[in-house]
Amino acid sequence: MFTKQTKVWLILTVVLSLLALASACGKKEETTSDTSGPASTGKAYTSKGNEGTVTGTIAFNGVPPAPKKIDTSADPVCGQKNTNLTTEDTVVTNGKLANAFVYIKDGNLADGTKIAEYTFTVPAEPAVLDQNGCHYRPHVLGLMTNQKVRITNSDPTQHNIHPTPKNNPEWNQTQPNGAPPIEKTFTRAEVLIPVKCNQHPWMKAYVGVLKHPFYSVSAENGTYTIKGVPPGTYTVAAWREGGASGTEKTMSVTVPASGSATADFAFGEAATTAGQPGLEMMPALELPMTGRR
Amino acid sequence: MKKGVHRFALLVASATFFLIIAGALVTSHDAGLATPDWPLSNGQVFPKMVGNLFWEHGHRLVATGVGLLTIGLVVYLFIRERRQWVRRLGVVALFAVIAQGLLGGLTVKLMLPLAVSSAHATLAQLFFCTTVSLAVFTSPGWLEDRPTIAEKGTVPLRYLCVGALVMILLQLVLGATLRHATTWDLPPDKELLIAHIAGAITVAVVLSSVVATVFRRHRDERFLTRPAAWALAFLCVQLVLGIAAYLARLASPNDPQPLNPMVGITVAHVACGALVFASTIILTLRAFKILRRCEVPLSLASSEVA
Repeated sequence: MFTKQTKVWLILTVVLSLLALASACGKKEETTSDTSGPASTGKAYTSKGNEGTVTGTIAFNGVPPAPKKIDTSADPVCGQKNTNLTTEDTVVTNGKLANAFVYIKDGNLADGTKIAEYTFTVPAEPAVLDQNGCHYRPHVLGLMTNQKVRITNSDPTQHNIHPTPKNNPEWNQTQPNGAPPIEKTFTRAEVLIPVKCNQHPWMKAYVGVLKHPFYSVSAENGTYTIKGVPPGTYTVAAWREGGASGTEKTMSVTVPASGSATADFAFGEAATTAGQPGLEMMPALELPMTGRR
Repeated sequence: MKKGVHRFALLVASATFFLIIAGALVTSHDAGLATPDWPLSNGQVFPKMVGNLFWEHGHRLVATGVGLLTIGLVVYLFIRERRQWVRRLGVVALFAVIAQGLLGGLTVKLMLPLAVSSAHATLAQLFFCTTVSLAVFTSPGWLEDRPTIAEKGTVPLRYLCVGALVMILLQLVLGATLRHATTWDLPPDKELLIAHIAGAITVAVVLSSVVATVFRRHRDERFLTRPAAWALAFLCVQLVLGIAAYLARLASPNDPQPLNPMVGITVAHVACGALVFASTIILTLRAFKILRRCEVPLSLASSEVA
């Protein structure tokens, strides 16, 4: 009845139908457990009461790019809260950079054990990522593996939350205005996961997921503080968005018992990195971060 | 009797061209995942068309329209068309549009994997090719009796046309892959970009040669020269649009969102690519319709041997 060509198309159509059905009906596992990492196999860290802090300032050298105005005509609701909606990729105030993600990348405790060998208590309180004024708030967020992130929509319009991780499962979920919060977890460490809203393409956030709680995001005045750091020598990294996958700089700091270490970073033109005097310094590194669309 | 079928086939081909534009708008706006579900959008048949959902759901509505039109065309062909192979081509078109819809669903459900998205964009061009072919086969110009013409030259024009078609299709696949490899906020993939530029040069050389051959060998045959002239015109526009699209995409990562100049130029580039493909298909089909291999009479061949 049918020609050979028609039969080929028929078979292709049936196969694609089955694939589409399987894809539509199948429940995608969104929280795969990371059993390979040290967080699930390491020894639990117990506080000695002599933990210190890492503090610093993120500077931006040179003239920062001016924020760009966002055209909200496709969804006028976005322009109601803020008639002058602009981009937030480089927020600089008096030469200080906000929204830099600073974290302990690696290092050893004072007793020589690696920080990666320990597990840390996951906060019961979820981190909050809000959609407000057609921007993600905060723009950069840190959380621990398996810590819940609660995503809320404070806008009178619908959004869709779409993280595009490399190591964690990708997901995409619509959140209409007035909808209840969405709670998710990321089970694998990943710095940083871009989050976008495909309905409003300017909306972007970055989520840093770590197996320990030693991270911070620079405030509007460029300062940051990482508390409760066990005494030891660590590689501290500062990441900022920009380009295909952001820019990361690192330096080595030694946190004394019950003391404080300083790690200042600088981005922009002729950027430098400065740690506290007398500390072993690593050269500023421009590390390409892994990223994707 | 045939005019009605031809007009309907033309309508389906035109609607398909519009659908390609609608699909290109989705890609340029990065709107493919504006809703995570399929076939409904946010669980609704008619959701609130705000933000990028306008482009994604609009594309789905146009696609539904084209699907219905294709069903109508197949029914029309089975009622009015006597040629069995034309009917069967209609059925092929129907399966193609169904497969295309399912690929569209798959690419949404699987969150735009490059292979599926590129396949979706490529099948769009192949479906367009099928609808254009149906419009050609049902056209009065195709149905009227035409004397066959002997092929001239060492390489038959028909084979040159097929070669150009294959090159254009490969270039369309490359273009589709390039477009879906990165979004507007990231620079285009370098290797794919180089391959696409190399493809553009190849297509320009091959298609120009085909058009030149048509005018050199069959300059009085408007049945061939007209689609050849259109193909050349579309090719010239396409090359200019390609350069403009390249420049627009280089600049777009610095934009706060996909802006109209970049969107307009890249969509026009996709649409013009489809027109280059369509005009070359028409030229190829017409070449196969009227050109025949030059047969050497047996007696003459014998005398030459002696």
